[in-house]
Amino acid sequence: MAAPDTDWQAAWQPLVARVGEDFGSAETFHGADAIDPSAVRRYLEVLEFDCPLHTDAAVARAHGHAAPTVPSTSLMTWTLPPMWSPGQPPIFSSDTRDAEPERSPLKGVRPPGMPPTSAYMATDYEVDYLRPVQVGDRLARRGNRLVRCQPKATQVGRGAFTTWEYEIVDQHAEVVARCRFSMYHYNPHAAA
Amino acid sequence: MKCMSHEQNPVIDWGQQRTWSEVAVGDTLPPLRFPLTVYRMVMAAGANRDFNAIHHNTAHAQSTGAPEMYANVMFLQGMWERTVREYIGLAGTLHAIRGFRMRSFNTAGDTVVVQGRVERKWIDEGADAAQRHRLELQVWSENRHGVSVGPGTVVVSLPA
Repeated sequence: MAAPDTDWQAAWQPLVARVGEDFGSAETFHGADAIDPSAVRRYLEVLEFDCPLHTDAAVARAHGHAAPTVPSTSLMTWTLPPMWSPGQPPIFSSDTRDAEPERSPLKGVRPPGMPPTSAYMATDYEVDYLRPVQVGDRLARRGNRLVRCQPKATQVGRGAFTTWEYEIVDQHAEVVARCRFSMYHYNPHAAA
Repeated sequence: MKCMSHEQNPVIDWGQQRTWSEVAVGDTLPPLRFPLTVYRMVMAAGANRDFNAIHHNTAHAQSTGAPEMYANVMFLQGMWERTVREYIGLAGTLHAIRGFRMRSFNTAGDTVVVQGRVERKWIDEGADAAQRHRLELQVWSENRHGVSVGPGTVVVSLPA
């Protein structure tokens, strides 16, 4: 017999009850590397974006920057931890064509009370940029406050929209951006 | 029939600088086109490190309910930044992106067109002198199905 249609919504209530809680207050997640010119170039080239503030030190200096700045929208990239580091167990343990890695920082922290889901996508991303970030900076993500958890069935599946607030800080622990990031974690209809 | 992806984006003269005084509410930003291909999706994943397979693997994307692999948030925001930066020039400053909502999938085989319009113009007396002359730009992305991202707001400042 099929489960009652509201069971999946009830499964999210423990997380709904924790809205307002900062799940990341004790940790700062550092980006894999300091920002280097080649990484910035790769970010720019897929956009065919030739702004010299990001590549030409003389132009950057002429506009008041000690070094080339990075695109504002790239900040999240520089906060992503490495997929794998020396000493860690393998992440590629299967040769199934579409197997996912054993771990990925992209999936974020699954807080206690969050029901299992097999798929996720970003839905909204708002950022206040407080100061320019330059090549050579090393960024980190600090804090992770849950400000919304809304169970909802959509065209693609059943799950919940969650919104998280966090700060991006540099190597001096100065805040360079404040972010509000929303995701939809769900079980696709075919697998629900 | 004209193929959108064959149209060229304008070449920017970065030596030109737009000023706040010459901008009027209602002015439009030159639209920019971003054809999406599998090749480009793979480049984007490598560049912005969003390796979620929904962005570079058709079969995986379809298993999650999407019609095809689709562009990730940083790739799509980067399209907005390029569009805005080419409008505000080297001396402009990008202060905030708000209302960046991905309403539908921007899939491989489609072209994203980013457009914008000046919605508001004001002087922020509380800001540093170099960043007081503010604009609120309404920005959105369209694909063959209509508006796919936004409309959202990008707050910038320009030289007076």
